[in-house]
Amino acid sequence: MAALAERHPGLAAWFGYIRRIPWLAFLLLYTIVTGGPFVWVALMSLRTTNEILDAPYALPSPAHWGKFAEAWTASKYGVYFWNSLIVVGCAVVLLTLIGAMAAHALARFQFRGRKALRLAILSGMMVPPQLLILSLFQILLQFGLYNTLAGLVLAYVATQLAMTIYILEGFFAQLPQDLFDAARMDGYSDFEIFWKITLPIGMPAIATTVVLNFIILWNEFLFAIVLLTDDDKRTLPLGIMHFMGAHQLDIGMIATGLMISIAPIIVLYACFSEIMIKGMTAGAVR
Amino acid sequence: MTASELQPVRTDDGLASQGARQTSRATLLAFVVPAVAIFVLFTLYPVLRTIWNSTQTLGPMGNGTFVGLQNFEEILFRDKTFWKAVSNTAIFTIVGTIADVAGGLLLALCLYAGAPMSRTLRVIWFTPVLMSYVVVGIIWTWLYDYDWGLINHILRWIGLGALEQSWLGDPNTALWAVLVTHLWKWLGFNMIICLAALSALPKEVLGAAELDACGWWAKLVYVITPMLWPTLLNLTVLSFIGKMMMFDLVWIMTGGGPLWATETVSTYVYKRAFNWNTFNLGYPSAIAVLWSGMIIAFVLLMMRLFRQRERLEF
Amino acid sequence: MAVVKLEALSKRYGGNAEASVRSMTLTIADGEFMVLLGPSGCGKSTALRMIAGLEPISSGTVAIDGRVVNAVPAKDRDIAMVFQSYALYPHMTVRQNLAFGLKRRRMPAAEIEKRVASAADRLGLGPYLDRKPHALSGGQRQRVALGRAIVRSPKVFLFDEPLSNLDAALRVTTRNELIKQQHDLGTTTIYVTHDQVEAMTMGDRICIMNRGEVVQIGRPLDVYRAPADTFVARFLGSPPMNLMSGVLRRNGADHAVEVAGAVLPVTGFEAGLLAPFADRPITVGIRPEDIYESGAQPGCSAPAAVSARVAAVEPLGAETLLVLSLAGQAEECVARVGRVSAHSHGDAATLYLDAATLHLFDPQTGRALPRAAG
Repeated sequence: MAALAERHPGLAAWFGYIRRIPWLAFLLLYTIVTGGPFVWVALMSLRTTNEILDAPYALPSPAHWGKFAEAWTASKYGVYFWNSLIVVGCAVVLLTLIGAMAAHALARFQFRGRKALRLAILSGMMVPPQLLILSLFQILLQFGLYNTLAGLVLAYVATQLAMTIYILEGFFAQLPQDLFDAARMDGYSDFEIFWKITLPIGMPAIATTVVLNFIILWNEFLFAIVLLTDDDKRTLPLGIMHFMGAHQLDIGMIATGLMISIAPIIVLYACFSEIMIKGMTAGAVR
Repeated sequence: MTASELQPVRTDDGLASQGARQTSRATLLAFVVPAVAIFVLFTLYPVLRTIWNSTQTLGPMGNGTFVGLQNFEEILFRDKTFWKAVSNTAIFTIVGTIADVAGGLLLALCLYAGAPMSRTLRVIWFTPVLMSYVVVGIIWTWLYDYDWGLINHILRWIGLGALEQSWLGDPNTALWAVLVTHLWKWLGFNMIICLAALSALPKEVLGAAELDACGWWAKLVYVITPMLWPTLLNLTVLSFIGKMMMFDLVWIMTGGGPLWATETVSTYVYKRAFNWNTFNLGYPSAIAVLWSGMIIAFVLLMMRLFRQRERLEF
Repeated sequence: MAVVKLEALSKRYGGNAEASVRSMTLTIADGEFMVLLGPSGCGKSTALRMIAGLEPISSGTVAIDGRVVNAVPAKDRDIAMVFQSYALYPHMTVRQNLAFGLKRRRMPAAEIEKRVASAADRLGLGPYLDRKPHALSGGQRQRVALGRAIVRSPKVFLFDEPLSNLDAALRVTTRNELIKQQHDLGTTTIYVTHDQVEAMTMGDRICIMNRGEVVQIGRPLDVYRAPADTFVARFLGSPPMNLMSGVLRRNGADHAVEVAGAVLPVTGFEAGLLAPFADRPITVGIRPEDIYESGAQPGCSAPAAVSARVAAVEPLGAETLLVLSLAGQAEECVARVGRVSAHSHGDAATLYLDAATLHLFDPQTGRALPRAAG
């Protein structure tokens, strides 16, 4: 903060230099604090539990890459991973489609009750999950959807739909009406216009919601722990927790599991960091 | 391509576009029915049902008996654990929210002041936001470990071995340990939002402040913070909601222990609903209703207060 | 090729008491270039959108080639429209933009390609066919928008202020280009604008609208020379026609107006029309170019001297505008005089109004008193 002065050379420069040292140290320290733990887990994921207990903060030598294969099969992380991918994938596709359709209607059409509908759907953002989860448990039980991946997908769609519509509608409403009139004169129906105009042009906003929903749901824990019980249906967060409960002391294997859960996010983040930052913060900025 | 690139239309007549925005009822329904169905079936109905449940004693097979407001009476006047959970959650919320927003602003200022490699730092600092509570919780459980955790390691290394603790095992420190972890996860989020708001500040105003002979501290207090006020308030509300509903991290790191030291309202609801043998969904529903009402009331109150304040200032 | 006929066309929005288009009747001949001109909010765009089928018609009819199309959806009216914002699909290349409307009409691919190529050729868009709109300049985008209309070879072209997003220089060249294209294609065209220069230069006829109503229809110069009312008189021409209040005097068989201390003989009007205004106030209109610095200048057929104070001099190079304060007139007058003017700011000057070019308006209704034919 001291170096706020740096931006404005008018303030005595030498004064800034002295202050610069603690400031740079702080930057470095905070970088280590945020990034370090992930490096540490990455290192541990390649070491055996005994090695770790001998020296928790050491480099893997040799690197036990085989641990990943073992975790994937023997510790069932593969199953958890696929469950997560299926649930999150389905939920994100449904959210994008249903959300975009509703957002398109709210942004493009004038109809009686539009404002009320918008308010009702967006009020979904205000609902605390505790208020949903208890009876959602009952309801899914009734429908025979309790302890199924489909039930979890529905719960996820319900919790994220309001935010998705909110972000998409904001963007769609800014698209010029002329485009839609032109498409209508070119002979396209409302559905074709949605498919060929709104979706392609709305891609930036859609990418944002896909990122946001993917990350939030990939990490989701509360609904999963309430709505799933079978080991074979567990998503990654649940799977890791379960493994942790059963093998509290097998730190090496848990670390490998953590890496399996972190890796997709880290890889995506390395490639699309700006899009992901924008996506994660999209709901908060406006 | 961004929305701003597509120029908004200035129609000749203000209302001209209205007619084109009409469509048949069938088309309209096709577009909104899926969303409405999801909303009604999986949001509205569950919420109403939870509220109804809160007036019941509800067995595992759904065999409920109506008990009126008895659950609420029990919670408010006899349930000591509930009040313990409320006080813990209050500490989380008040301390956590202030630290969250102030910390986020501080980090943003660090980068805004022209840090070297600020883009890279920003990306690294944001990483914890993307991680699940399970990952974050487990990592920090290890860092807090008495024997081989990094915190105690460092304390011993710098000769402060006397301070070493079982951070999560001691009722005096567990709450703060969890809170630090929560902050660590979310600071990056607030930092990004503050940074975006800072970059949007008009440079002329900062320049003008400089001409008015403002030092950096004066500039921060009298110029930057007031101009960021709307953003900071927004973040306060968001952070507040998040902390009031805090569940995952506590559940993963301590399960509410030791000795209720980290029990939050949300973990208590979960325990009463699914972990205790007294399977009765009515009672936790009542807590959830009570607490949600509190959250919504507080949020509305905050928004109202803040709006009034804004009106005074501008 | 088509005749477009509007009969008592009206548009009324739900809550609005006042109609945005009121009983508009207009026939656009086959191949004609018709300009709808008016200030913003006058209903011209709404009228255009009703013709296009983008706006439901409240009452009245739109007929194309004798067939009433009120109930025909936009896509089946065989009309193409160029929008003010161009409305190019930003995610498609120029080629795809041009082909988009044809694809929907199940045209064979070879035919589509042929038409796109010919339109691109015609508009010089060949090199840009594979670019997306954001990589084009404003003028190029405008041409793509035009091309999208041309490839369809529709019965009618509709233009909604297509030049207003271009800068001044480009506007002139694009205007000429548009005129040429329309001329070559011979397609019936309806063109909406608020720019009187566009209207004057482009239209075979112009239809002036104000507050939802048609005020005057006619060939540009006819409208310019004989505006139907004070609105048209002020709207067409730049600087606009000067309107002054005068009094009509009867002088035997002849009439004269007293205005700003001068007495101007009134010729070329039917006596019967003038009679009711005798000895009563009347609005006198004179175009800036009909005020002269000297009574002997060519073109000034009936000079009448008037004294004025020069409030401002605006030398524009090719001409000079004098802003004049006349005795008894609330509003200042503008005179368009030669390249150089002898007058300067604050001068008391004598100028000459050409009485043969006077326009007279009923001060109550604003309607013009028509000049006798010939």
